[in-house]
Amino acid sequence: MTTEIGQGITVDRTGETGAFGGELLTVNFGPHHPSTHGVLRLVVDLDGEQVKRIKPVIGYLHTGIEKQMEALRWQQGVVVTDRHDYLSPPINNLAYALAVERLMGVEVPPRAQALRVIMCELTRLSSHLVWMGTSGLELGAMSMLMYCFRDRDTIMDMNEEISGFRMHTSYIRPGGVFADATPRFLDMLDRFTAKTMAKNVDEYEALLTNNPIWRRRTIGIGRLSAEDAKVLGATGPMLRGSGVAWDLRKAMPYSGYENYDFEIATSDLCDCYGRYLVRIKEMRESVKILRQALDRLPDGPINVDDRKMLPPPREELETSMEAVIHHFKLFTEGYSVPPGDVYVAVESGRGENGCYISSDGTHKPRRVKFRSASFVNLQALERMALNHFIADMIAIIGTADTVLGDCDR
Amino acid sequence: MIPEALVVDRGVSAGDSWLTVDPAKVHDALSALKDEGYSLLVFLTCVDHLLDSSRNWPARYELLYELRNLETREQVRVRAFVDGDPPHVDSVHDLFPPANWDERETYDMFGVVFENHPDLTRILMPDDWVGHPLRRDYPVGGEVVEFSEEHETWQTAPEKA
Repeated sequence: MTTEIGQGITVDRTGETGAFGGELLTVNFGPHHPSTHGVLRLVVDLDGEQVKRIKPVIGYLHTGIEKQMEALRWQQGVVVTDRHDYLSPPINNLAYALAVERLMGVEVPPRAQALRVIMCELTRLSSHLVWMGTSGLELGAMSMLMYCFRDRDTIMDMNEEISGFRMHTSYIRPGGVFADATPRFLDMLDRFTAKTMAKNVDEYEALLTNNPIWRRRTIGIGRLSAEDAKVLGATGPMLRGSGVAWDLRKAMPYSGYENYDFEIATSDLCDCYGRYLVRIKEMRESVKILRQALDRLPDGPINVDDRKMLPPPREELETSMEAVIHHFKLFTEGYSVPPGDVYVAVESGRGENGCYISSDGTHKPRRVKFRSASFVNLQALERMALNHFIADMIAIIGTADTVLGDCDR
Repeated sequence: MIPEALVVDRGVSAGDSWLTVDPAKVHDALSALKDEGYSLLVFLTCVDHLLDSSRNWPARYELLYELRNLETREQVRVRAFVDGDPPHVDSVHDLFPPANWDERETYDMFGVVFENHPDLTRILMPDDWVGHPLRRDYPVGGEVVEFSEEHETWQTAPEKA
């Protein structure tokens, strides 16, 4: 039975009976299953081992982040944005910060822009490392997890050095960044990009790219043609793994990405292996961007010079009455944002993560909506996984790289 | 080109261009824009303008459709204002497949009913949830602990939500 799920996109669902005359078996997969990357529940109809129908059930990680943002002042909201896509906090911060800045009509200084790029690329690396480690674990390459988390831990150390927090950094804020990079941070970054990462990506490739088990588990599995990917709204490595060179950092540059020299990673394989190759290439490109950002890191302030938006320096409070007033206003009422609405999209490790803000001119947002890549990409799951074996479905969920916290918000 | 007859108003907000259409003609307008090359529905959502005096809103709920032309990289935001309890609007999942879950989410959070949607059920909240959490008259911080005494009374409480 062929069912249309979008224009021209069909899935072949069998009827009530399987190929050998037996009944289809409905299996509840998840929500608590180690390979669902969070709490994803799938109601799967099986014919023997073959998947004949998938109904994703989401919402188990819904934490009401959008509602919560309406009750928080503009600068408090940053802390919440860290927590929906918990594998790429600075990238979510950036989407929110850019949206608020667009509404306020301010632009951050060059040094802040470069520091934002550094944090975003480090996050992309760490997000891809988690992906590679967990996917490797699922598909039989257990040592990947150890190796990838070793490098991720270095990134965590850098997060701690620059922001004081290992995971939910809240580093990027409307108006600039939290703190300037310390010499120790720049030293760590230099060592990490020049020595550690350049060598280790080669090591990961040596472990996986020509590994016969990895290749047989991923090549030809979970095909998604370029046409289907576009119609289903897939973004990120899902889209680029289908051969479409679309990357928001190139297509609609933000935060100074147009000044960096890097390539869009694509693969024409359209399958799980293609998406793996895209992520490997993206890790190399991220290292390239980090090198450039480090070499050309401009001097200057890291915040906009606007006392109505950011608190005055601590030492001014002792001498200036005006500084005390600004400080008091900011920490009691906060600042207000002119009425209007704006949508800003940034490229996260998973695809387009955007932030839509509607302001009514008060000191709290009227509505904040996060466009999450996982939420949209997950809708392509049935298209990719139908008529595959249930073990291959694990590979497909893995390479789709959905983060359920991002999906459910 | 989108027929001018469909456009009620247009403008630019913080650099993003938008146009307002009649809620009954959302499907027609999005179909025309799709033919024009706006092939990606980036997201779809709703804003509740209850008691918002900053501007003159024609209705309480504002539906938003952010469209992108992947060739020219232009974006346009289509807005439609709807009232009513529950508000009704045509589904666009047949034009843009990703709208399927977005519309379910908007129904779940705002109670907007999308006509002709194949499976308009709650997506993020539990199936037996009462009320639509992102409406402005739904209390913030009003979440009660499940299986507690307050939970029983509160589940039936939100009359206007």
